[in-house]
Amino acid sequence: QVSVINTVDTSHEDMIHDAQMDYYGTRLATCSSDRSVKIFDVRNGGQILIADLRGHEGPVWQVAWAHPMYGNILASCSYDRKVIIWKEENGTWEKTYEYTGHDSSVNSVCWAPHDYGLILACGSSDGAISLLSYTGDGQWEVKKISNAHTIGCNAVSWAPAVVPGSLIEQPSSQKPNYVKRFASGGCDNLVKIWKEEDSQWKEEQKLEAHSDWVRDVAWAPSIGLPTSTIASCSQDGRVFIWTCDDASGNSWSPKLLHKFNDVVWHVSWSITANILAVSGGDNKVTLWKESVDGLWACISDVNKGQGGVSAMTEGQQNEQ
Amino acid sequence: PPQVVPGADPSARQLCFAWGPAEVLVCETRFGRAGRAGAGARVLTGSVADSAGEAPGSSRVFVVRRDQDIYIQTLRKLFNESHGIFMGLQRSEEELAGKSRKAQLVQVSKNYRSVIRACMEDMHQAAVSTRDPALQGQYSTQVSILSAMELIWNLCEILFVEAAAAGPLLLRLLDWVRLHVCDVDSMVREVLSSENPSKHKLFWNVVDVFVLQGRMDEARHLLSKEATANPTSMNMYKILDDLMKKMPMPSLGNTQTLTELELKWQHWHEECQRFLQDGTFASNPHMESICKILLGDEDAILEKKELMTTWYHFLVTRLLYSNPTVKPMELRFYAQSSMDLFLGGESSPEPLDMILMAAFEFEMHQVIKECSIVLSNWWFVAHLTDLLDHCKLLQSHNLYFGSNMREFLLLEYASGLFSHHSLWQLGVDYFDHCPEYGRVYLELHIERIPLNTEQKALKVLRICEQRQMHEQVRSICKIMAMKALRNNRLGSALSWSIRAKDAAFATLISDRFLKDYCERGCFSDLDLIDNLGPSMLLSDRLTFLGKYREFHRLYGEKRFPEAARLLLTLMTAHIAPCSFWMTLLTDALPLLEQKEIIFSAEQTYELMRCLEDLTAGNVDKQKFQEDDETTKVEMLRLALARNLARVIVKEGTVEGS
Repeated sequence: QVSVINTVDTSHEDMIHDAQMDYYGTRLATCSSDRSVKIFDVRNGGQILIADLRGHEGPVWQVAWAHPMYGNILASCSYDRKVIIWKEENGTWEKTYEYTGHDSSVNSVCWAPHDYGLILACGSSDGAISLLSYTGDGQWEVKKISNAHTIGCNAVSWAPAVVPGSLIEQPSSQKPNYVKRFASGGCDNLVKIWKEEDSQWKEEQKLEAHSDWVRDVAWAPSIGLPTSTIASCSQDGRVFIWTCDDASGNSWSPKLLHKFNDVVWHVSWSITANILAVSGGDNKVTLWKESVDGLWACISDVNKGQGGVSAMTEGQQNEQ
Repeated sequence: PPQVVPGADPSARQLCFAWGPAEVLVCETRFGRAGRAGAGARVLTGSVADSAGEAPGSSRVFVVRRDQDIYIQTLRKLFNESHGIFMGLQRSEEELAGKSRKAQLVQVSKNYRSVIRACMEDMHQAAVSTRDPALQGQYSTQVSILSAMELIWNLCEILFVEAAAAGPLLLRLLDWVRLHVCDVDSMVREVLSSENPSKHKLFWNVVDVFVLQGRMDEARHLLSKEATANPTSMNMYKILDDLMKKMPMPSLGNTQTLTELELKWQHWHEECQRFLQDGTFASNPHMESICKILLGDEDAILEKKELMTTWYHFLVTRLLYSNPTVKPMELRFYAQSSMDLFLGGESSPEPLDMILMAAFEFEMHQVIKECSIVLSNWWFVAHLTDLLDHCKLLQSHNLYFGSNMREFLLLEYASGLFSHHSLWQLGVDYFDHCPEYGRVYLELHIERIPLNTEQKALKVLRICEQRQMHEQVRSICKIMAMKALRNNRLGSALSWSIRAKDAAFATLISDRFLKDYCERGCFSDLDLIDNLGPSMLLSDRLTFLGKYREFHRLYGEKRFPEAARLLLTLMTAHIAPCSFWMTLLTDALPLLEQKEIIFSAEQTYELMRCLEDLTAGNVDKQKFQEDDETTKVEMLRLALARNLARVIVKEGTVEGS
């Protein structure tokens, strides 16, 4: 059972494209076609506007919160080809960095696991993916992967940080040997996995299964199992779950979650990775869970599932 | 069934969804906006045209929560106390075997049930004392849910935990029915408290109730009142009373075997049969019907449907009067037919009925599954399943999430607790007792707890430290350090970064301290810096900060030679950053100007070298454009030269100074 505990009236003057809670669920960031990014304090069912950030010159597609250990930092990307990083200093939110290195709309931004430092991946319609790394003192270093996807890149998602080998506490002066990876989805119908080797980003895997543009990718959080899981969704109406069993990341196998009747726009995992939310063009959000026999079951239909969770949908007359 | 988000616009919009740590976000949007796809070929105005003709009210974001129950104040007791019982069970003596272990588990079950009842009581009080009809409705609903939970749990206790055998089984079921079918209580009270019960119009109903519930003594007592009021039926009454008195019942002790009981019962049954057939009760339809009930006549019992109110009451009454030595495994047959007969095709079974049916059929997994679907939170199934698991009743069903059903349910329950600002602490303990995924779930959830106060942060930290969750410890300390720094609480920031063993941050903060010192001429948070101890070694800058402060302390205590030595070491051992050398040299001035000689010749040469290094360095060239700096350098050179002169003389004239 679900219940609405708060309805935040954002007063955006145009369509909202993304809304994200911060790490603790105390703040909400929204972005819209009206070119603004707004931040609200939503504690205890309230809605206090903290900031109305202007800086973009076109619709803002996505926002992403950085890990709180770096302070209160929010990234936004827009049709205006810019990525802006906003930071809260002395109680006020300001633009702290603006990246204009793309030739076309930037569609997706995603912060890397905090263990890697403050790094932002950005995917753009110019087909490139940029990686912005904070090096200190207000400086950001840029690495660009040109032609990551032909025609355009629509989504980026980082793999969880996993330290290969030992779990012994390391002295802080030594950075553990993380293998950094992220996944991207593009207009070439592909999902690609990128790996950092010798400070260079290389394409590690090409996952082919979709027959139309990939709209979103989401790498599942790790619950300590040796398997990695990625969800991808596409204009072809399909959602695939990709799993890789070995640590070297070589063999990925897709499993079709479902074929929807319309474009599927978003996929996202819950924090313990046990539920996948799928936003489709058919006005529904469906929630999926893996069942006993490894098959994925839609728990929006309560009779089939094991939990009391329902899907959320709008009251359409032709809904059954 | 799909859940409708209230207030959502039913026109053709799509839903955007985002996970929060506890709640989720849903907002109306339209995907497929122009310009998103392709190399910017599509024009932006396309989307504006699309939305032109629509109502602008699409700027809302809904914050949706999945488990509301944990926020209900009156249920707080349920969560807290059941947590205590749960923990006790986990820690309980596994070495106890057989009967004593079973007794222990039954006690645990009873404890859980008494917590549910206590909660029901509170909820009932709340319902009665509130004036708000909406709240009253909510509380009343909660009361019935809790009541249903206790009903189910009680049955599970009888059938599974205690695993009552034939004989005692019936007694337990009778108790169960008497406890839970309360609709007739007010009627009973009314009749009993009236002046002349036998004249009350509901008199016979109450007698029937007692008979149906096997409360023979009470039935006989009431009947005796009727007999004294109606001497004509004295004969009939005596016979009926005798039959009721002699009715063989199972006993809890070992006074008779089942076979003995069955024999006695058979005899008694035949006796009742004879009296009925002889027409003994023919003139009193009430008494005749009672006799038929005693004979287990289904139709006669069914006639009293309204007094039984439920099919499971009917089931137990049937068993009492037709098969009191029923075996547990035989229950399923009686249960199904009882339900069919009672409902008689007029109404269909409700979820509660299905759950009870599954229990009578000993389908534990089915019980749990149905309860999971019907109940709004995981509390009930998690705790019940855990108990059943301790009774070693559940075979392991390998699930992907949670290696068995018990763990799966506990993980779900505990995860739900984490969204609550204080109940999360209970969740920690539950995760601790999930051997497969408990730890990783705890790691993922504990990081999301808002660290509003230092106290809360310390609490969370303690939990992580106790479990050697080093990553989380580091992360939390870093977050707190950053927060403190933002609020200009340097001391706090420093101690958090030391705890996080974060060298980079410690360096940053030390620089701030030093900068503050340069600007204000004094240190803040002296206590902290003075007592750094070995953590000083975390970062070079921090070491410098600590040592520099030590220098000031030594100076303050007038331990000049030591202070001087330290000062020099700070530069020669490169502990001090180059940017700070000027300040250090300036600090050396008063030492050079002292009446007594503090710096030896060698030390003075060292100081001079440092000064030359500093002025020769390209980096600092700009500095020396300023008059201030030039004056300082001049003064230093002068002071050093003077000192050198004095010390050469001194060392030259007095041996081994």
